[in-house]
Amino acid sequence: MSMLDSSQMALNRREFLKTSGLALGGLAIGVSLPLGVLGKVGNSAFEPNAFVYIDRSGATTIYCGRCEMGQGISTALPAAVADELEADWSRVTVLQGDANAKYGPQGTGGSRSINVMLEPMRKAGAAGREMLVAAAAQTWNLPVEDCYAKLHTVYNRIDDRKLAYGELVALASELPVPDQPTLKTRDQFRYIGQPLPRHDQGEVVVGRRIYGADKKVPGVKYAAIRHVPVFGGSLKSVDKSAALAMPGVVEVVEIPRFEKPFGSVGGVAVVADNNWVAQQALAALKIEWEPGPNGSYDTTQYKQLLVANVESPAKIEFEKGSLDKAFKQATVRHAATYLGSHLSHSPMEPMASLVWVQEDRCEVWASTQDPEGIQKTLAEYLGRKPGDITVRVMMAGGAFGRKFMCDYVQEAAALSKAVGAPVSLTWSREEDTRTGYYHSCSAQHIEASIDSDGKVSGWLQRIAFPTIDSLFNPAIVQPTADDLEDISKHPYGIASMRVESGLAPAHTRIGWYRSVYAIFYGFAVNVFTDELARAAGVDTLEFIRGIYDNNHDPQQQEQVQRCRAVLNKAADMAGWGRTLPAGQGMGIAVHHSFESYVAMVVHAEVKGDEITVHRVDCAVDCGLVLNPDIATAQMEGAVIMGIGLALETEINFKDGAVVNSNFHDYKVTRISAAPAEINVTFIGQDYRSTGLGEPGVPTLAPALVNAIVAAGGPRYRSLPIKAA
Amino acid sequence: MSNTITINGRTQAADVDPAMPLLWFLRDTLELTGTKYGCGMGLCGACTVHLDGQAARACMTPLSAAFGKQVTTIEGLSADGSHPLQIAWVKNNVPQCGYCQSGQIMAAADLLARNPAPGIAEINAAMEGNICRCGTYTRIRKAIVEAAGQMKGAAT
Repeated sequence: MSMLDSSQMALNRREFLKTSGLALGGLAIGVSLPLGVLGKVGNSAFEPNAFVYIDRSGATTIYCGRCEMGQGISTALPAAVADELEADWSRVTVLQGDANAKYGPQGTGGSRSINVMLEPMRKAGAAGREMLVAAAAQTWNLPVEDCYAKLHTVYNRIDDRKLAYGELVALASELPVPDQPTLKTRDQFRYIGQPLPRHDQGEVVVGRRIYGADKKVPGVKYAAIRHVPVFGGSLKSVDKSAALAMPGVVEVVEIPRFEKPFGSVGGVAVVADNNWVAQQALAALKIEWEPGPNGSYDTTQYKQLLVANVESPAKIEFEKGSLDKAFKQATVRHAATYLGSHLSHSPMEPMASLVWVQEDRCEVWASTQDPEGIQKTLAEYLGRKPGDITVRVMMAGGAFGRKFMCDYVQEAAALSKAVGAPVSLTWSREEDTRTGYYHSCSAQHIEASIDSDGKVSGWLQRIAFPTIDSLFNPAIVQPTADDLEDISKHPYGIASMRVESGLAPAHTRIGWYRSVYAIFYGFAVNVFTDELARAAGVDTLEFIRGIYDNNHDPQQQEQVQRCRAVLNKAADMAGWGRTLPAGQGMGIAVHHSFESYVAMVVHAEVKGDEITVHRVDCAVDCGLVLNPDIATAQMEGAVIMGIGLALETEINFKDGAVVNSNFHDYKVTRISAAPAEINVTFIGQDYRSTGLGEPGVPTLAPALVNAIVAAGGPRYRSLPIKAA
Repeated sequence: MSNTITINGRTQAADVDPAMPLLWFLRDTLELTGTKYGCGMGLCGACTVHLDGQAARACMTPLSAAFGKQVTTIEGLSADGSHPLQIAWVKNNVPQCGYCQSGQIMAAADLLARNPAPGIAEINAAMEGNICRCGTYTRIRKAIVEAAGQMKGAAT
């Protein structure tokens, strides 16, 4: 989690604002971010400026520096800017910023965009508003206090004169930028909190939104690639003759492994006049691979190893109270072991970019979550400076964490360099499935005790999974204390606890998958809690409330209250406890991740092998919601993804290579499995806004598994339920 | 004499390998990139177009199967984004990343052409081949039902 740790991103912040002389005499406002923000994510030079730009006609452009992959950030953040600016949203054009430190941190992951950027962006808008008002006041020779902005126009309280923003930009751009502009109070919000439509829907529904795979430039060539099937393996031999003889083939290029965390695993590619020729020629290559040191990786065996490693004492990373005593004095004890599978992100747009490497420049058009990572990786690969790599951030056709890594961009750069032309590389679905940065498979063993007062008195959790840190440091062979914080700092109130880390060396690349480790933590804790409640003979909802009530740590009271609040709300929404027809049941789960709080009640039906999710009620506390419709959509998407990973989504390895290949054997949720009803309610809006891209995923699977038991079905402890 | 295909009302020469899937002719030759690649095996529906008025997977349709036929892509579904499905998609904020939505809309248009008032089970059956990883399915259902209502209203 090191790269996406939100605590590293905390802005403790002394933003300042400055104007920048853009052409045409427009008003441009940049917002600078403290250098510390960039410190641990990238090392790009600090040069502030995330722009609001208003031209003399009043046409307003707001740049979004964060990457858009469907989460709606390029609407939510610019709308907040427009709100503070008192801009008319219908006159605002949102543009995606290229890679540039002036936009602040652009690596878009960890559900951090709103956490990190909301306040600076609001200040950019507010500063603009104050400057425009000051310009009007100066024009009228009135005190600033008598003037106010409303929808692209400044008015005054003395007479009926008014000035449009476009008329004021020339003067406003001469004025000093306020250091500490006054932000609106909540009752003054115009767009924040409103279900403003996404700015780009019109383009999407006519097929004109341009994704990384769609980008064309004159002279573009197209490439198809096959990767080393086993991570750490290499190319033994390739017979290129048949491929090179095919009309339209430009070149067959061997790409060696680039041993950087975000570099290519290595492979062979064909560059051709179009994708079809490239694919045909690739199929005509005769390739032999060396499997290398991970050639025996087999997930069936590996999971057995993980189970063994958590069902016996492991490395103690956290301890409080006296677990032995709690267990000895228990009136109820329970133990269980949980398993989770590797997952592939598999966005509908596979890895895709267009790169043109020239003598004096390198230009990239990529679907990406991390333009700075592309600059850094290509700079290392090409021996150039990061600032010399131009990255045009394209709309990403889904990403879910995968497009934080830029191996596919580095490959396109290698190909462009090899053929001296711009190269568009789109991975086949098979390569996308088999060359991932996978969600960790995992095993967790939990033992707990209940004392004579009915309180959960002791909790042991042993955890083993290959970590993301192993990508950056292969010497790391088990979860670190930081990785275990979701459990060691869990808001449950339990006097005696021990958290242990089990050995789990990585044999493939592990990456950030939407919700990351919270997926299996949320699963194990919530399913075990339901089991423990049943063992104690207490209703699960009551039981969870009781555990929270036992938390007397003053540091954790906010977490406890917010967890309890979403839990109660979800239960209310679902009508927890109401009688359901035979074969149906409700399950509940609550989890705090990425600074937001989510509880879900799943209403499911079990008929033989058939599991149907009828309805999901979600209560969410992510603080002030910028756009309730976009936030609701994030939760709906999390429910759909959660259903998939609960029921049938899994990646398996055999002989070191991924077994799955395409959507027939990598099963993701299809429309018939979508619930009839997904209800989402937001509470806790007095709190500061936090992210919602990820926090919705962890609760679905445990709530569903608990619902299956309530419906009279078996207790599933291994995901996916319908494993291959 | 060249082989031709009529695409969104324009007759185009297709002097390339007749085995080339329609998808790549659209995307690479004609630069009509609204039709997307998702799987190459007819498993995901991202490349759905209409071939002589019926939904077809462009990734599995060799050009030779389209010679002399009418192809409609998302760019040609309406002149200006005014198809009732396109309107309903925008109104319901269906797309998240949007990558699969060209195919979703084309599949839905085919459904409504065959069945002007589909129920949820019929919508599920017709749309089962179109994957959305962002998880917009509940909104897709709602938008289809709304568009069907609009079309019925317009027809009577």
